[in-house]
Amino acid sequence: MSALIAIRGLRKAYVMGDETVHALAGVDLDFQQGEFVAILGPSGSGKSTLMHILGFMDTPTEGSIVFDGQEVAKIEPDLRAWYRSNRVGFVFQSFNLLPRLTVLENVALPMLYRENSDPVANEAAATIALERVGMSHRLDHRPNQLSGGERQRVAIARAIVGSPSIIFADEPTGNLDVKNIDRILDLLGSLIKEGITVVLVTHDLAVAEKAHRVISMRAGLVQEDRTR
Amino acid sequence: MKLFDRIRPAILNGLRELQANKIRSLLSMSGIILGVASLVAMVTVVQGMVGNFRQFVDAMGGIEKITVTREQLPKEQEHLAELSEGITMRDVERIRKTVSLVDNISPEARVGSERLIVEGRETSTYVTGVTADYLPVAKRWVDPGFGRFISDLDVLNMNDVIVLGSAVVPELFGANVDPVGKVIKIRGRRFTVIGILNNIEGSGMQIRSANSRSSGGSWRWRNSGALIPVSTAQAKFIGNDRLSGLGLRIGDAELLRDAVEQTERTILAGHKGLRDFAITTNEQVLEDFRKTEAAFKLSLGGVAGISLFVGGIGIMNVMLASINERIREIGVRKAVGARGSDLFLQFLSEAAVISVIGGLIGLVVSMGIVALMNYILMQALPTGAVATLDWLIMVQGLAFSVVVGLVAGVYPALRAASLDPIEALRHE
Ligand SMILES: Nc1ncnc2c1ncn2[C@@H]1O[C@H](COP(=O)(O)OP(=O)(O)OP(=O)(O)O)[C@@H](O)[C@H]1O
Ligand SMILES: [Mg+2]
Repeated sequence: MSALIAIRGLRKAYVMGDETVHALAGVDLDFQQGEFVAILGPSGSGKSTLMHILGFMDTPTEGSIVFDGQEVAKIEPDLRAWYRSNRVGFVFQSFNLLPRLTVLENVALPMLYRENSDPVANEAAATIALERVGMSHRLDHRPNQLSGGERQRVAIARAIVGSPSIIFADEPTGNLDVKNIDRILDLLGSLIKEGITVVLVTHDLAVAEKAHRVISMRAGLVQEDRTR
Repeated sequence: MKLFDRIRPAILNGLRELQANKIRSLLSMSGIILGVASLVAMVTVVQGMVGNFRQFVDAMGGIEKITVTREQLPKEQEHLAELSEGITMRDVERIRKTVSLVDNISPEARVGSERLIVEGRETSTYVTGVTADYLPVAKRWVDPGFGRFISDLDVLNMNDVIVLGSAVVPELFGANVDPVGKVIKIRGRRFTVIGILNNIEGSGMQIRSANSRSSGGSWRWRNSGALIPVSTAQAKFIGNDRLSGLGLRIGDAELLRDAVEQTERTILAGHKGLRDFAITTNEQVLEDFRKTEAAFKLSLGGVAGISLFVGGIGIMNVMLASINERIREIGVRKAVGARGSDLFLQFLSEAAVISVIGGLIGLVVSMGIVALMNYILMQALPTGAVATLDWLIMVQGLAFSVVVGLVAGVYPALRAASLDPIEALRHE
């Protein structure tokens, strides 16, 4: 079975004056469909940089990324935007919901930027996604009327609304208490059964325990890649 | 259709932003509001003045009218004064024969201010000798039921008949008396009233005026005066065959200059080269007015242009501030799949929404300004410039504000579109 994502020789360098920071110093990784992967590593090891590049929000300095058989390392911004709204979902530590929009509108947002976007269909998709995260009783609330755990569930609903192949979650539980952490992890774990790949970054070993595969990073390189 | 699908949510979003920042939005609109209001109000008032002036020129006989008057001989011809015969009916005949551009010639012999007497009453008014051609040249008429005008036969027979201006009638006969057939004495001669000229204010001319007080002052002369056959005036009052002037009407205003030239040459030839006459037209008046109008439009347009420019800067300013506040929002939208063009459209629509709403408020304000200007102009001008808001001007004013809003929104929208999603999301 060919990998959903195949990364070879991925580098990302930031030039700061005379100094060059190698956030990613040559990463080779494969992600299979339906995998639940946790990425661990000390601060500054390049976890977020990798997620941003894989999430089509940033471009690598060097290397190749084959996504679903397509080379995507150096594609145009508009095509990257297409991948973001059609093929991948992103969950942030700080939720990043839009405060002026309702829960329903926040979740429907990625659908808005798809071609042939239709308000009625978008709303229906958002409603279904909110049902899946158990938030269908809060459709008309604003994000600031929700608890942190609820906000992250809404953010997950937004990430899955467009039926992506893969979800990247950068420290999704970083702002949550234990009870909510479990709930969010269960939710992410349940997505795998539908064939969605989940990649999450965490500092919390207990969180990493839930994943089927744990990747450790250090100084922009993969130090350990362990499948249980 | 597809573009509209992308714009519609952007517009809704713009409205929501406006609602969330009401005061700031209103402040940012103030320039547009003033700009549109002044633009629409000024254009309306200037148009009103132009329209009024056209009617004024029309009442003066229009631009198809040429006036020939007696004039002192110029210095170099002064010694030939003895040879001057003045303007006579012979000039009328010559012009009629040679200047085909002229449709009607109205010879006029001013008798002067005379006392008109009926039993028990009298009034003073201007008496002028004219022919039947007076009506088409002066653009006047006798309304049905108000008698008839002086005919060619009256002129031929030197009849003692008189046509009165409508304002003279009540002074001589009181209200509700039909004066036609009644007899009036002028210097002891008995004249039979045969008709009454149309009343200008009551007619379809629609010279609107400020109030009855000033209208009485400036327009009553058009309704006063009395007309008698030119031959009667010459033979029985003036005592010679001279005319005080001619009124000529030409068919085509485009040929005014040719007509003036031909008339001048014809009269000059008949007068053996003596320049004892002057030819005037309303063209110069109109020309002067056009210049005033252009100056008006230029300066008022400048005022409106500057306020719209300032309005544009206001919008740009508020858009930039708004984008600065919403960098995270831009990052989020990009992260979930928005392209640069989506955000460009979103912020451009927001600028358009601000300018449309500002423009609409400006239109409401312009209604107030026009009402105020009308009030002031009525006090100031004898003719009273009455301006009415034209929907076409309002649409243009609104279009103007939208263009300003769009132009002002382009730079902020481009900034929003070009933001890097990662950096935008990192923004606090
Ligand atoms: N825009 C940038 N400009 C310069 N250096 C950057 C930039 N973004 C990241 N870096 C650097 O790249 C390295 C990797 O950063 P990254 O955010 O990927 O680390 P991380 O593993 O996610 O850390 P944390 O666990 O603290 O989130 C760091 O040394 C960071 O300082
Ligand atoms: Mg990080």
